Amino acid sequence: MADSDENSAADKNEDEMVGYRQQPGKLPFAKPGSGGKDRFSRPTDDAMIPESQGGQKAQPWGPHRHDGLVSGQVIGKPTALVDSRWKVTGQAHYGDDVRLAGELIGRIIRSPHHYARVLSIDCSKALELPGVVAIATGADAANKFGVLPVTKDEHAMAVEKARHAGDLVACVAAEDEATAREAERLIEVEYEILDSIHDMRDGLEDSENPIHDRGRYHIGEANVQKRVFQEFGDIDGMASSAVASHKQNWLFAGVNHAATEPHAVVAHWDPSGRLTLYTPQQVPHYVHRALADVLEVPMHQINVHRTFVGGGFGGKSDPFPHEMCAAILARKSGRPVRICFDREEVYWINRGRHPSRIEMNLHADDEGRICGIETDALIDGGAFASFGHVTTYYNGVLHTAPYEIGAFHYTGARVWTNKPASGAMRGHGAVNSRCAVETGLDDLAEQLSVDPITLRLANLLPPHSATITGFRVTSIGMRECLERVKEASGWDEKFRKMPLGKGIGIGCGFFISGSGLPIHWDPNKFPHATVHLKIDMDGGVTVHTGAADIGQGSDTVVAQSVAEVLGLPLDMIRVKSRDSDTSPVDLGSYSSRVTFMNANAAISAAMQIRDELLDATAEITGADRTKLVIGDRRIFAKNDPAVGVSYLEALHKAQEDRGALVASGAYRTPPMGRTHKGAAAGLAPAYSFSAYVAEVSVDVETGQTKVEKVWAAHDCGKALNPLSVKGQIIGSCHMGMGQVLSEEMRYGRSGHLMNPDLLDYKIPSVHEMPEVVPIIVESNDPEGPFGAKEAGEGPLLPILPAVCNAVYDAVGVRTAELPITPDRMHKLIEKKCKSSGVKDPLDLSAPRLEHSALQDTLASRAAEHAERDLARRLDDDRQPYHNGALFGLDPTIPPDEVDERWAVNVIPSEEYLASPRLAGSAWKHTERRHRGDA
Amino acid sequence: MVQHRLPMLPSAGEVPWAASVNGVEKQLNIEGNAILLDVLRDQAGSLGTKRGCDMGTCGCCTVLVDGQPRLSCLTLAAEADGAEITTVEGLADGHHLHPIQEMFAECGGSQCGFCTPGFLVVCSALLEENPSPSDDEIKCAIEGNLCRCTGYQQIVDSVRAASEILTSGRGVGDSTAPKSDPHPGFAGE
Ligand code: FES
Ligand code: FES
Repeated sequence: MADSDENSAADKNEDEMVGYRQQPGKLPFAKPGSGGKDRFSRPTDDAMIPESQGGQKAQPWGPHRHDGLVSGQVIGKPTALVDSRWKVTGQAHYGDDVRLAGELIGRIIRSPHHYARVLSIDCSKALELPGVVAIATGADAANKFGVLPVTKDEHAMAVEKARHAGDLVACVAAEDEATAREAERLIEVEYEILDSIHDMRDGLEDSENPIHDRGRYHIGEANVQKRVFQEFGDIDGMASSAVASHKQNWLFAGVNHAATEPHAVVAHWDPSGRLTLYTPQQVPHYVHRALADVLEVPMHQINVHRTFVGGGFGGKSDPFPHEMCAAILARKSGRPVRICFDREEVYWINRGRHPSRIEMNLHADDEGRICGIETDALIDGGAFASFGHVTTYYNGVLHTAPYEIGAFHYTGARVWTNKPASGAMRGHGAVNSRCAVETGLDDLAEQLSVDPITLRLANLLPPHSATITGFRVTSIGMRECLERVKEASGWDEKFRKMPLGKGIGIGCGFFISGSGLPIHWDPNKFPHATVHLKIDMDGGVTVHTGAADIGQGSDTVVAQSVAEVLGLPLDMIRVKSRDSDTSPVDLGSYSSRVTFMNANAAISAAMQIRDELLDATAEITGADRTKLVIGDRRIFAKNDPAVGVSYLEALHKAQEDRGALVASGAYRTPPMGRTHKGAAAGLAPAYSFSAYVAEVSVDVETGQTKVEKVWAAHDCGKALNPLSVKGQIIGSCHMGMGQVLSEEMRYGRSGHLMNPDLLDYKIPSVHEMPEVVPIIVESNDPEGPFGAKEAGEGPLLPILPAVCNAVYDAVGVRTAELPITPDRMHKLIEKKCKSSGVKDPLDLSAPRLEHSALQDTLASRAAEHAERDLARRLDDDRQPYHNGALFGLDPTIPPDEVDERWAVNVIPSEEYLASPRLAGSAWKHTERRHRGDA
Repeated sequence: MVQHRLPMLPSAGEVPWAASVNGVEKQLNIEGNAILLDVLRDQAGSLGTKRGCDMGTCGCCTVLVDGQPRLSCLTLAAEADGAEITTVEGLADGHHLHPIQEMFAECGGSQCGFCTPGFLVVCSALLEENPSPSDDEIKCAIEGNLCRCTGYQQIVDSVRAASEILTSGRGVGDSTAPKSDPHPGFAGE
């Protein structure tokens, strides 16, 4: 203990304990529930206790509000997932592993046409087939649903039109799979084929038959689902002060989550007339709501049971039409119905990353400041809205940090096309535009003849600041991430110095750690996450949470949090997170919110139990309650550990006259952000930061690119489970590398998806994976649970630009189209040969760098800022810092309040509309209600 | 797409089928053209064997047929008639996990766990043949298995750790052994 000897001696005298001093040794009396291994409490490990609590755990980022709860049990230790033993024995049951007695097999009848009116459906032949029990069509489910309440545009099955090849038209339940598949063929659907659109640019134009009709809210007669216009900062000054500008037109192919488990669902109406839906869902609560809407029964009549989830990544976060189909078929047939997708169907339901066309413009001034970012993003939503409303914003607002910028101009539009719907995928909405920004910065550095890492280090926002869009950013570990990858990768010896075909590149990332506004914010005061605890006589702790463990380890993190606060080993915690009947509502595993919000809720519940245990201990021992601490299964006086009781003793005392202890904890984000239209999109209680360096080799003759090694630094606030954080970083590299090198949903000339399988949709195998060196940076977020922020999505962002920039370093070509397949690379190299007048690509020269005078300016600014940041993060009375200070504005006042040039604008001017960019042209249409149409 | 799908092959009629599945003799009547994966999942009760693609691309369905890894989705059940089949359920010895299982749990080799059964059987066969494989040998053994979560690195770590356990002769504990005592004594300072 850090108290000086005098102090503790004084304490001892004051609190001299009588009667409850325990001699070392096993307690002589047994209690119901006692017994088991480890019969002695382990002495508290000072190395795990934060400095602020008198322990030895260094806190370079200052103390944290949860420091007093640290008992040294599990937080920060590499921890096996609490459910991993089910998984390694084959006893983890996923969607298709739920087998109920008397089950029927359901199959979906899908449209073969991209866009067609469904004229009639003749089921008579199918119904004659022996073994066919029930058939349902759009007529059985009239109500619309969708993940966002503002854009419900899906039906269980086509009601009027089928909107993409693979769209659901009918479904059938039969005694076995062979019969169901045969019935699929026998159902005759008559279609009237409509003109389909496949190129996202066509979605911006008026159409005779818009894919959806939103009535008076429809934008012109076009297929524009959502459009955004935003201007912040000194837009006019941006171009005039620029000395270097970057412009690139990007084309990003759509990619799919390709989780190994295909979607599957089982629906069962029990004898009491309640529905249980077994489904591998990331967001069981939204399915719960959607089922109630579609089936027209109250929510309490439904139990959503989340099975083990075989990978989500966003691909299992919408309420899905096949889930509705299973419920409808089960209701009609009176028997449980199981539907399991073929791999092909996973691509029809999709919800993968949006194919996008992004125009990126960046400007830097003579001091190497980023005086403007102009982004125009047109994203291809496919046939349904899904999360698209949010995605449209995210493509812009999520690249307004970590850099301090002079101006930000964003135009974004999402269009409907006749393709499988795009949706949320790991790094939601931020990945493609981040790639465009970071490669742009590399180009700016090249134009300014400075090192790209120095350029970044000299332009970072400080901790506890506000971005140009008004996001409240708290902890920032960006600088450390950059410095550590620079060091680890040997950057200075390699960058622009490697031979032709070998290159190294940097990329950064910034991502939300939980969305500040929940999707369902009615009524306004609901918490984001709620956790219930129950502890009965046996002493084991039951944790009820609705957070969906999708393999990321959320059950483990919640168990760890509770164990830490109560001083218990993990084997005494059991997490029940499957049934909506018993789990408090959690908004789901998306937007990297679970660790942050759910662990916070768990901590607050555990604190209530902790209080009761401390009260009981004080009562038993007569010790001063304020001096009691919790250690390994024991509660004792901090200054005299012999005075104390076992956990079970305290528990039983607390249970007197009332039985099991129960507690409910909740988490809600603090009020934050600004008020302009769209201000809530991108708001989060904390943000994660990352910086990666990738080393690649490019075969200049074949165009084959291989990533050799990645140094991956991620600021996750605090690694509650370092094993999982590393796993997330490496897994993110895998997924991002797939997108940058090989993955692509390829559509043929007639608009047909050509590779709906894992043979032609290439996810990296073990041989493509480079060695990844995960580097964890812990910036100790003030609001995060024990300081933690997210680690599941942010780590994906930097890998794409890091690879693209490394490719430039290797061969001097900038790609603007992903994935960089060998044929694309080969073409780029050929072009480069032509322009540099060489015949043999082996004669090309790799880019080299001669530093300009600006390099020193930037380096010294970076050094100054490093000090500024250090001072800010340790200062409790820090002044506000608003983006704009780097440009000479008063950091303590939002710039638009003092300088009208910085005013926020969300409506395009006439002048802009005269020559809009691509996505910006969505604003040429007038909403019907503004045209006066009904 | 749906309309172009080949009609179901006509049923080949039921035939008797016998195999040892995880050491248990199974005598079943199966469709003559049944796929091994379907027989294992739907008839032999091995739901631990996973279906990820049905076309030999993901490796989730891998089982050992007479000790050799086979993609059960590409294997006619008839081919395995009379064989000894090991699925993920057959790796553990009662409540003592196989070291490869224990290490996949401990070293992060399993995140969502859906690919895990396939990896486990492949790696157990590898370790059977070669108790201390190099990283490259491990990578070659698992090249037919896709994992979307881990990026493979912690899978390779897990195999390496399992190999250390195996070669050291240490065993894996009994998972039913008593857990922590909630009423511990004071150990002293
Ligand atoms: S299911 Fe057999 S390889 Fe994918
Ligand atoms: S652990 Fe999820 S696919 Fe491998």
